[in-house]
Amino acid sequence: MLTVTNLRKVYPKSDRVAVDDISFELRPGEIFGFLGQNGAGKSTTIKCLTGILPFEGGTIEVCGYDIQKEPIKAKMNMGYVPDNHSVYEKLTGREYVNYVADLYRVSKADRTERLERYLDLFKLRFAIDKQIKAYSHGMKQKICIIAALIHEPKLWVLDEPMMGLDPQSTAEIIAYMREHCAKGNTVFFSSHNLDLVKRLCHRVAIINEGHLIDCFDLAGNEENKANLEERFFKITGTYEKRLFEDYVAQEQEEMRPDMPAPESDGAEEKASDGVTTEE
Amino acid sequence: MKDKISWLSVRSLVRLEMRARFGSRVDMTAKAKASKALSIIFTLAIYAVLVTGIYYLAEMFVRRSHMPFEFLVVAMTFTVCVTTIVAIGNVVKNLYLSGDNELLLRFPVNGREILISKSIYCFLHNVVINLLIMIPLCVIYGVVSSAPVGYYFVAIAVTLLAIPLPYAIANLLAIPVMMIMNLVKNQFLLVLILLIAAICGVFILYMTALSGVLEYMRDESESMFSPAVMDIFRNFANSAYPFRWYALLLGGWFSGYGSQAAGLSFLYLFLITAALCVGAYFVTSRTYYQIILNGIETEKVSFQKKIPNIKRSVFGTLLHREFFLILRSFNYSFQYLAMAVAAPVMVYYCNDLAATMGKNTVGAAIVPGLTLLVIIIFSAIIVSFASTSISREGNAFYHTKIVPVSYTTQILAKLFLYGAVGTASVVLSTVVVAAAFGTDKAGNLLTSLDIGCIFIISQMITMALTCLAIAADVKSPTFNVVGDGEMVSANKNMVVSLLVGIVVAALFGVFTMVFSFLPLQVGDVVIVPAGEMNNIYAILAGISVVILAGSIAALFANLERRYQKIAP
Repeated sequence: MLTVTNLRKVYPKSDRVAVDDISFELRPGEIFGFLGQNGAGKSTTIKCLTGILPFEGGTIEVCGYDIQKEPIKAKMNMGYVPDNHSVYEKLTGREYVNYVADLYRVSKADRTERLERYLDLFKLRFAIDKQIKAYSHGMKQKICIIAALIHEPKLWVLDEPMMGLDPQSTAEIIAYMREHCAKGNTVFFSSHNLDLVKRLCHRVAIINEGHLIDCFDLAGNEENKANLEERFFKITGTYEKRLFEDYVAQEQEEMRPDMPAPESDGAEEKASDGVTTEE
Repeated sequence: MKDKISWLSVRSLVRLEMRARFGSRVDMTAKAKASKALSIIFTLAIYAVLVTGIYYLAEMFVRRSHMPFEFLVVAMTFTVCVTTIVAIGNVVKNLYLSGDNELLLRFPVNGREILISKSIYCFLHNVVINLLIMIPLCVIYGVVSSAPVGYYFVAIAVTLLAIPLPYAIANLLAIPVMMIMNLVKNQFLLVLILLIAAICGVFILYMTALSGVLEYMRDESESMFSPAVMDIFRNFANSAYPFRWYALLLGGWFSGYGSQAAGLSFLYLFLITAALCVGAYFVTSRTYYQIILNGIETEKVSFQKKIPNIKRSVFGTLLHREFFLILRSFNYSFQYLAMAVAAPVMVYYCNDLAATMGKNTVGAAIVPGLTLLVIIIFSAIIVSFASTSISREGNAFYHTKIVPVSYTTQILAKLFLYGAVGTASVVLSTVVVAAAFGTDKAGNLLTSLDIGCIFIISQMITMALTCLAIAADVKSPTFNVVGDGEMVSANKNMVVSLLVGIVVAALFGVFTMVFSFLPLQVGDVVIVPAGEMNNIYAILAGISVVILAGSIAALFANLERRYQKIAP
C-alpha cells in the first residue's frame, strides 16, 4: 500500500538532515502508528509521502505508484488530514467538500451518498452550509477528515489527528479508522498518544532525530504492547528510570492532588449554623 | 468600566501601540533602509504635488478671480471634510477593528485604559494629518494674498482650534459606520458595486479638478471662472457654516469683515468643538467596551449558503474556487475586481486629459500612443494582483500539493481567470476610447486601425504581464497570512510586476508617440517613414509576440519541478 525506501530529506539552507534513510512498508488493512518526539521528523516524513515536500533521496510508492514519477496516480489513492486543519475558510463546508470531490473526480451520486453518511457520523450536518471560518477547531478537523475521505482513499494519512478533539469525536474517528481498514484500506497516522497507539495500531514505527529506530508489531504481541512506553522513552533518549516509573504509575493511579482543607470563617460557620438549624 | 484608570498601564499600552506601528529600535538592513528611503521619497513627491495643487488653486481664486474669502471657505470645507474622513477611517480601524483588542483584554488592563491608549494614538494621527494640510494651506494663502504678519499668528490659533473637531466628529460617526459595516458584512456583491461606484466617483472628481488646474496652467490669460460660477462660489461662501466661521476667523478680519464677525466666529467654533468633544467622550467611553466585546464575539460570524452538491470539471472547480475566494474578501475585491471594472472609466478620463493636453501642445498624432500607454498602465495595475496568486493560498497551500491535479493545470486555471478579467478590462477600455475618440464628432483622433492594433498589442501585453506576475510568485511566494487566511500585505512581487508593466507601457507609448512624428531610421536608412502607423504597430505587435512567448515560457518551463520545490 505504501512503500518508503531510503527516504532522505534536507531542508534548503539547513545543514541538518531532517529525515535520513527511512524505510518501511505498510500492508493493506492495517493501522500503522508513527511515533516520535517533537521535531523528530514525523511531519516531514508525512509531508514527503503526501507530495507536499520534495526530497533528495529514496523513493515513495503509494499503491505501486512513485510519488515523484507518477504523482497524480499516487495522490489519487491517498487522503490526507493535516495537523493544522488549514482549509479555504471563505468557502462553506459543502463547497469545500465538493471542490475536493471534483478534484478527485468523484461522481455526484457517490459524493452525495458519502457526504450524507459522514455528516451523520461526525455530527457536522448543522454546520455544513456555513462558512468554514466560523467553525471551531474540532469542526475544522472534521471537515478535513470528510474531505480526505470523500474519494474513499486506499491510504488514509493523518498527522496528529486527535489533537484538540472532543472525546466523542475522537471515538468516532477511531471507529471509522477501524471501519476503513476493515475494507482492506490502510491508515497511517502520527501521534503523541502512546496509549491510543497501543490500543489501535497493528504496527508502530518510532523515529528519532530523523532516523527510523524501531518498527514492530503490536497486534497479537502482548509483550510489545506492554513495553511500548519503555521502548519509546529509551529510543527517544528520554528514558529515566524514575520518570518512567512515574509515567507507568500515573497511568494506574489517580493523579489528583489533595485539596487543602477550606479555612473556616464567620460566613461558613453562619452557613453551617443555618444547615444545623434547619436540620 | 468603573475601574480606576492606571496611567502606568496607559503609558505601557501607548508604547506598545507605537512599537507595533513604527517598529522597535532594531538595526535595519541596508535593503530595508533603501526601501524605507524610497517610500519616504515617494510620499514626499505625492505631498509636493498636493501642495503645488493648493498653490495653483489659491492663485486662481485670489489673484486671478479676486475671491480670497471664497477660497478660504472652500479650502476649509475641503480640509475639514478630508480630515474627518481620514479620522473616521483611522478611528474605525484602530479603535474598533484593531486585531489586538482580544489580546489586550487578556492583560490586566480595563476597557477604558485600552480606549485611552488607542485614542492617544488616533489623536496624534489626527494632529499630524491636520497639520500636513493646514500648514501649507495657511502659508500659501498668506503669501498669495500678501497677508499681514498678524495673519500667521491667527493661522496658528485657527489650526489648533481646527484639530479637535474632525476627531470628535469621527468618534461620533464611527459607531454608525461600524453598524453599517456589520450590516453589509457578507453582502459581497453589494460591497463590490459600492466599491466600484466609490472608486469611479472619487476618480472622476479628481480628474475633473486636475483638468481644471491644468487648463488654468495652460492658459493663464483666460478668465478662470465665468460670472455664473463666481456667483455659485459666493453663495456657497455665504452659507457654508461652520466652514465660513473658520474663514472669517482666519482671513475675514483683513478682508473687510470686521473684528466682531471674527470674535463671534471664534465663539461659535469654540462652543461647537467643545460640545462635540464632550459628546464624543461620553458616547465613546460608554459604548466602546461593549462594541469591542461584541466585535470579538461576532468576529467569526459568517454566512450560510445552501447549495446542492454540484459536480464540476477539474478546471471549472479550480476557477470557481479561485474566483469566490477573491469575491468573498473585501480586501481582494477592492484590489482586483473593483479596479478591473473601474479601469475603463479611469482609462477614459486619463486619456481624455492627456489627449487634450498633448493635442494642444504637440498635435493630434500623439493620441494613439497616449491611449496605448494609458491602457497598458491600467492593465498592469490590474494584473499585478496575479503576482500574489500562490501566496494567497496561505496556510492552505499544502492543498495544491496533495490534490491529484498537475501543477500546470492549477496554474492554467489561475492564468485563465486573471487573463479573462484582464481581457475584459482591455476590451471595455478599448470600446470606451473608441467611442470617445474614434468618432467624427471627436475629430477621429483614433482610426479603426489604431483601435484594432491598440487592442491587440494591449491584450498581448496584458497576457504577458499576467504570466510574468504568476511566474514571479511561483519563484518566491510569501505565505504571510492573518485571520481567516488573508495576506498581511502585498508582497514584493506585486511591486515588481507593477513596475515592469509601467516600464513596458512607457516604452510602447513613447515609441508610438515619437515615431508618429519622426521617421524610424538606423544611420541614413529609413526603416519606417514618419507617421506610418501600420508599420509602427507591426513592430510593436512583433515585440509583443516575443514578450508574450517569453512570458509563457518563463511561467510554464519546468513548472512542475519548480512548483514542487515550493516549501510552505
